[in-house]
Amino acid sequence: MKRLVEIFLRRLGSLLATLVVMSFIIFLLVEIMPGDVAQMILGQSATEESVAALREARGLNDPLLERYGRWISGVVVGDLGESVYMKGVSINSILWRKVGHSVILAMTAFIIFVPLSIFFGVLAGVKEKKPIDSIISFFGLATMALPEFVSGVILITVFAVQLKWFPIVSVLPIGESIWQNLNIVILPALSITLVMFGYISRMQRSSMISVMNSDYIRAATLKGMPRKYVIFRHALKNAMLPTITIIGMNMGWLFGGLVVVETLFGFPGMGSLLMTGIKTRDVPLIEACVLLITIIYSVSTMITDIMYSYLNPRIRFQGGQK
Amino acid sequence: MNDNILEIENLHVRFSTFDGLFSAVNNVSFNLGYNESIGIIGESGCGKSTLAFTIMRYLASNAQVEGAIRFKDKNLLENSEKEMESVRGNRIAMVFQNPYSSLNPSLTIGFQLDEVGMHHQKLNKAKARKATIEALEMMNLGDPKGIVRRYPHQVSGGIQQRICIAMALLCKPDLMILDEPTTALDVTTEAVILDSIAELRDRLSMSMIYISHDIGVINKVSENIVVMYSGEIVESGPKQQIFENPVHPYTRALINCMPRGGVVKEKTKLNTIPGYVKKRGTDEGGCPFADRCDKKNDTCISEYGIKKIEGTHFAACNRAYAEDIPDKLKVRLTPKKRKNDPDFDIEHNLLKLEDVHKVYGTRRKVYAVNGIDFAVKPHSILGIVGESGCGKSTTGHMVSGLFPPSKGRVIFEDTDISIAWNKRNKETLKNIQLIFQNPGRSLNPSHTVEKIIGRTMQKLANINDKNERRKKIIDILRKVDLGKEYLEKKPPQLSGGEQQRVAIARSLSISPNLIVCDEPTSALDVSVQASVLNLLNDLQVDTHVAYLFISHDLNVINYLSDYIMVMYAGKIVEYGKRDEVMENWHHPYTEALLSAVPEVDPTKQKEIIELEGMLPDPTKKVKGCPFAGRCHKQVGEICEKEYPPMVRLSEDHYYFCHIKP
Repeated sequence: MKRLVEIFLRRLGSLLATLVVMSFIIFLLVEIMPGDVAQMILGQSATEESVAALREARGLNDPLLERYGRWISGVVVGDLGESVYMKGVSINSILWRKVGHSVILAMTAFIIFVPLSIFFGVLAGVKEKKPIDSIISFFGLATMALPEFVSGVILITVFAVQLKWFPIVSVLPIGESIWQNLNIVILPALSITLVMFGYISRMQRSSMISVMNSDYIRAATLKGMPRKYVIFRHALKNAMLPTITIIGMNMGWLFGGLVVVETLFGFPGMGSLLMTGIKTRDVPLIEACVLLITIIYSVSTMITDIMYSYLNPRIRFQGGQK
Repeated sequence: MNDNILEIENLHVRFSTFDGLFSAVNNVSFNLGYNESIGIIGESGCGKSTLAFTIMRYLASNAQVEGAIRFKDKNLLENSEKEMESVRGNRIAMVFQNPYSSLNPSLTIGFQLDEVGMHHQKLNKAKARKATIEALEMMNLGDPKGIVRRYPHQVSGGIQQRICIAMALLCKPDLMILDEPTTALDVTTEAVILDSIAELRDRLSMSMIYISHDIGVINKVSENIVVMYSGEIVESGPKQQIFENPVHPYTRALINCMPRGGVVKEKTKLNTIPGYVKKRGTDEGGCPFADRCDKKNDTCISEYGIKKIEGTHFAACNRAYAEDIPDKLKVRLTPKKRKNDPDFDIEHNLLKLEDVHKVYGTRRKVYAVNGIDFAVKPHSILGIVGESGCGKSTTGHMVSGLFPPSKGRVIFEDTDISIAWNKRNKETLKNIQLIFQNPGRSLNPSHTVEKIIGRTMQKLANINDKNERRKKIIDILRKVDLGKEYLEKKPPQLSGGEQQRVAIARSLSISPNLIVCDEPTSALDVSVQASVLNLLNDLQVDTHVAYLFISHDLNVINYLSDYIMVMYAGKIVEYGKRDEVMENWHHPYTEALLSAVPEVDPTKQKEIIELEGMLPDPTKKVKGCPFAGRCHKQVGEICEKEYPPMVRLSEDHYYFCHIKP
């Protein structure tokens, strides 16, 4: 237990360091993007003087570090600034609602694809080189090869246009919350599942195969343990380790990087918000979104590491008696 | 009721692969009586393990099995998978070669033992745990209640293997199959485990099949020996007879190629078996050993078949040594004559280590080598021997410069070289070469043999002309008995023995003064080991290079070394000329180590000094004698409190102990 706490604290430290570095890089990147915020606000017809005046007023002429300091100190106390495009609207009031939507989408997708791909991955691994393995592997490869905008269109055609089970676009009617419209989540979530399924089930399959070929599985079988018991008690825990890493590495993408899926379905999540921000060169909005995605990435990596060391006693009790 | 617990009749196991069908076990028949122990011996690739797994019915899906395996009069090959489950681990239990990988890393030891009882005997959790503790106690494991809560990686290799044996014992099986259970362990640990196996047989009266490549080990645990070669039984019978009167040329070669007590380089050249074990197709008849046999003739195919020699002694060949029966083991090859070297200067030291220490890690310190002084004379072989973790490899690495010592000086030909290799000058780099334990992993798999050897020459000996280099490479390859055709081959295409020859050729190609050999033969089969040892010896006679020869195998060290240094826990415990250490040892650890080496000759029996406990914790500094905790001759408190003084018996024989000679 002490060891777990130590791992947690050490990971937390490196998480903070990552965030500081990343926030600076994000700030720098947006800074060197072409275009001028003041020009953007005032429009093409603005005079040079008015642009210069606005730059001065917004502090855009201050040195880089000073502006970074201003931004980051705001972020730390929870003030993400104001949107430039939607003049004067605070980012907090738009962002968190969209983040909430994204989280619901991600969780739905997670609940569908994780058990599904692990189950079929294990099945394929246990039945290696049998017909069922070939079918699962083929399906996995096929969905992996299809980009989400293609599989998404197929899903829309089948389930929305033909069967009319779900709405074609996932737009929220004005004034209604997502809880009243949960059916808009299903199709995007399925689309994500198709992307992740091939990836994770193949990973699970190969780690299952290597574990099933290991000496300790042979030893367990030759102790007379029934095959099902060997698979579930001896193999699964070890075979899950690489899969958990892969899932964890994709959590960041799942929560913040669904730009394509969200745009395709018109889903009101963080991905489409980020897209709008980039299109309108809304610098504070872009910075806020990207920073949030970075935080999600780092935190999910940390959780993965902790899960990993919990499942793997060799890390949990490193040292021990040797 | 039958007398035999296990009867194997005309067993064939074939594997269908892309290259066609090949036979792994061919026409094997033998019987195992109640309470009998059979040792199966042979080199790797001879089908010993396949035979064991066939008995357990655990084979890959491309295997085809024919014949009958009758266990208590029931043919196991006709059993359903469900019936097999109730046999495995319950009536027939198996112990594997590598205990570490045979235990599930993510489950506690207790869990892995309990489940056996819970499944086979339908015990509840508490009763299963009780049985577990009893089994662990039977294997003489102290603190079994603590062990059950641990994970496999938290205990040492010897304890892991004892846990595996305890696991096999849980249901009091009728038959136990042990597949090289001690090969991965230290010789002292091996001795303890072999002893407890023998004791268990007496107590539980179970039958046993013991698989090993080491006759000495088989000798300790079995009465009868089965010799397998290329999937066939070539000889079987009581161990005494097999040893004193080996009839098949393979058995004889196997016995003769092992360096063992009393065999030394000046008197004997080790017997080797040319060639290697070939995969056999299913249609090939005749003696499988014919292509490697020096007594081969036309009758090898026509008259092949198991014949009775006398009593229960059977062999597949009784023609080869028909003429020289009384003298079967006496044929000794005479080694190369050792010339007296005019340059030999006994006063001068080639390599000298002065109070060398090595501490690994900064926060969690591991004291690997704790102050050793010794010297290597030019043109001599110093053998360093000790259990794993005694610091012998670390010492070799410091000499070769893989890392510098933490404290102390390494002096090579009067220059201080206690620095890492990248700071050493070219001359020193050229003069100290290395041969590693695992040639397959230490040679670059994508380079040709020519490139491997040539690169060393180019970098360290400045031979830049391509043709000149090639000529020299061919020359050096001839010295290690490899032909010109090897120039273009890559390491994966070579067998283990050939790879090690290339590694030796590489290190010799630039005529160094010292070669650090780090366990160069321990990954090889015994017949290959013999040829590599012969080669190292011949090359040393020719080139007068000195070896720092590191090995855990006392027989190998005894065969090759001029001087022997015994190490324990990062300290020297005894040093001296070979014969002085081997015959007139003074340190209790040397004594224990020597007693633990399994005796090959079944007519000789010796008392084993069992070392209990473990090496001292390397993360703590030891004040007294590091061996005190396990010593059978401890003299008193002084052992724990004070580091023993050096006792000098002669010019170059000394040891560190409180016991006076």
